[in-house]
Amino acid sequence: MSNIYAALEIGTTRTVLAIGEAKSGERLRVTSHAEIPSTGVRKSQILDISQATTSIRSVLREIEKKQGANGDSLDLSNVFLVVNGQHVKADPYQGTAQVSDGRVTEADIEEVRNSSRLMALPRERELLDIVDQSYELDGLAGISSPKGMSGRVLKLDTLQIHADANRINNARTAAGGVHLEIREPLFSMTCAADAVLSAHDKRNGALVIDLGGGSTGYAVYADGYLVSANVIGVGGDHVTNDIAYAFQTTQSQAEDLKRLESNAIVGGERGASPRVQLTGSSPLMEARAISRRALDTVVNLRLKELFTIIRNELEDQDLTHKLNAGVVITGGGAAQRGIDALIQREFGLPVRTGYPSEVDGFDQTTEAASFASIAGALLYAHRNYEEKSIFKKILKGLFN
Amino acid sequence: MNASPILLIGIGGAGASIARGINRASGDGVRYILADTDATTGSTDAPFVLLGGDRLSGHGAGGDVAQAKLAAEDSLQAIDDAADGVRLVVIVTSLGGGTGGGATHAIARHLRERGVPTIVFATLPFAFEGEERQRNAIGMKATIAEEANAAIFIPLDKLIGDADAMEEALRRAVDTLASAITLFWRLVAKPGYIKLDTERVRHIIAHAGNGRFAVATAQGPNRTVDIVNALSSAQTLTAGTNPVSSILCGVLAGEDLRLSEIGKVADGVRAAFGERCTFDLGTVNDEATFCGRLSVVVMLFEAGGKTADGATIGATTDSSRRGRRLTKNPLSVGPQGRGRFYNAEQTIWRGEDLDRPTYLRRNISLDL
Repeated sequence: MSNIYAALEIGTTRTVLAIGEAKSGERLRVTSHAEIPSTGVRKSQILDISQATTSIRSVLREIEKKQGANGDSLDLSNVFLVVNGQHVKADPYQGTAQVSDGRVTEADIEEVRNSSRLMALPRERELLDIVDQSYELDGLAGISSPKGMSGRVLKLDTLQIHADANRINNARTAAGGVHLEIREPLFSMTCAADAVLSAHDKRNGALVIDLGGGSTGYAVYADGYLVSANVIGVGGDHVTNDIAYAFQTTQSQAEDLKRLESNAIVGGERGASPRVQLTGSSPLMEARAISRRALDTVVNLRLKELFTIIRNELEDQDLTHKLNAGVVITGGGAAQRGIDALIQREFGLPVRTGYPSEVDGFDQTTEAASFASIAGALLYAHRNYEEKSIFKKILKGLFN
Repeated sequence: MNASPILLIGIGGAGASIARGINRASGDGVRYILADTDATTGSTDAPFVLLGGDRLSGHGAGGDVAQAKLAAEDSLQAIDDAADGVRLVVIVTSLGGGTGGGATHAIARHLRERGVPTIVFATLPFAFEGEERQRNAIGMKATIAEEANAAIFIPLDKLIGDADAMEEALRRAVDTLASAITLFWRLVAKPGYIKLDTERVRHIIAHAGNGRFAVATAQGPNRTVDIVNALSSAQTLTAGTNPVSSILCGVLAGEDLRLSEIGKVADGVRAAFGERCTFDLGTVNDEATFCGRLSVVVMLFEAGGKTADGATIGATTDSSRRGRRLTKNPLSVGPQGRGRFYNAEQTIWRGEDLDRPTYLRRNISLDL
């Protein structure tokens, strides 16, 4: 008997729904996924619930067609929601417990874990995750397993990931419009990292950058656990907007220029024509040519600024020297030409594209890198809800 | 009627308070008007323009920048009437709420399009006023910087010194700002032996971009050294990151002002803020006010003034950058280059609005 999981991402540029399936103890396989352009969403934030619901309905139909081709329909009464946007925050919090008899027992560990769950959040914030990092015993930090060790005061460092409750509720409402129930909201960055990083990467230290349409997240792993994460409200849409403004184009022309012509490194397209032809989009706009160098400059300045912000934040936390496994780029922005070279220059570290290698069902393409978060959400569901078989295959149409 | 070629406009409740403070401190008949969406701001001490009277019925904009902008646009004729014959407009206002941001933006744009150079002095909210007001203020800051010929933004937190009591802090902020702008006012309206007349200031403002501003006062035998030291470390002057293209320096003193002191101040300011900038200096001699005291007002302007149609002039001081710099785009909707992010949640990082194109914020010329 297989367990079936579903994950939904209502992104700035697209809405994605994916279905994963796995037998107990086996690797998860993504059996189908569908995406359609989002409407009613800007900078990872739903601005029009009815439009967002329409997008979800469309993507559900796509999935239904695919599943129908497999002879199945799905009862999606529980869906894992991928949450992204600059409203997501990761704050450190330390739990403390007195060791009962001078040697750490399971009960002491349980007590310090409970203590680390006491961080009070304002009503408008919703907790997404608590990541246990490492223990500290009488000042000795970085302990991964304190059981049996001698000491008096045990501490546990955690990272508390929380988000704007209203925004998550808006996503719940939008999904509820087509009878999808959100079982658990998940942070996109931990999802993406789980999908693309091996345990070895996490131990050695890696930075995952997820360059989305409306925002860019990063997650830093070292010594096997999540050390730091943040989301910056700048994404691929900003590159498009900059191009539109600089060259007086429509947003769709700018999107094409970004996707098809630009390079994150100025002059990175060796042998390419120095001028890029721009076809007229309306009687008011004549066909013309723009400078490729100027186009690359606009893209380079924006992305360089973004990576500088991330690098500065890592330097402030003294984390840059811990990234021995290098940088992994995921999200739609991974397809930007020259992005790996730019990141390499900015961080001085090896760079690779993050394919969701921890699940089956995706090829190693840059397109697959844009599904890292949703694949990670399915992986989370599989690892945490495997026994519960929460999605039942039933012969039931979704749109009766 | 006051026929001064310079008009002071206090916009919004806080702007009106500052304008009144300037009038009080100046003591010699400043030509000024007050403009607000809230009818209670008006009084008999100055002409008052009720912005959007039909639209808002004098109840204020309720913190809504868009309503304030529309209200100001409804009342531009009244502003024109008040600005008749004026060569330079100085606007004082406070950002964070509705009227200060929305109305200032609309009025500055209108005046610039009429060919009247406008300099805006705008305060930014105290940190304790909360993130929303800070965000509003930063958003409007960029808009005003684009619409006014020159704009100077002053965080209120930097004006209160060590004042802790709420009322005292607010009063001190308004007083400090009013007295500082008064010095600038006197410099232009009542020039001394070295003149910085209205037409020269008009020219400087018309060719200026964003500005920074500070005042220092000292007395005693080392007053010039004290003043240069104070200005060199003034947070309001050192906060900027873009290069300075012109310096406006005013020296205000009594009859004991010496030529050597003017020289020391000029050398010190130029050494601190830019040896190769355009440098203009004027003096005010007022024995009654400054007896024994020396006050120096310094304004630093970045490159990038605007013509009446909004095009940027003197975009860069780097002669190697000869490309055409675009500042307006008829197709990308919304001001300040926010385009598709117009009205979206802002992304602010270390005071910068990251939704605006990076190349614009970095003042990079593109060879298109």
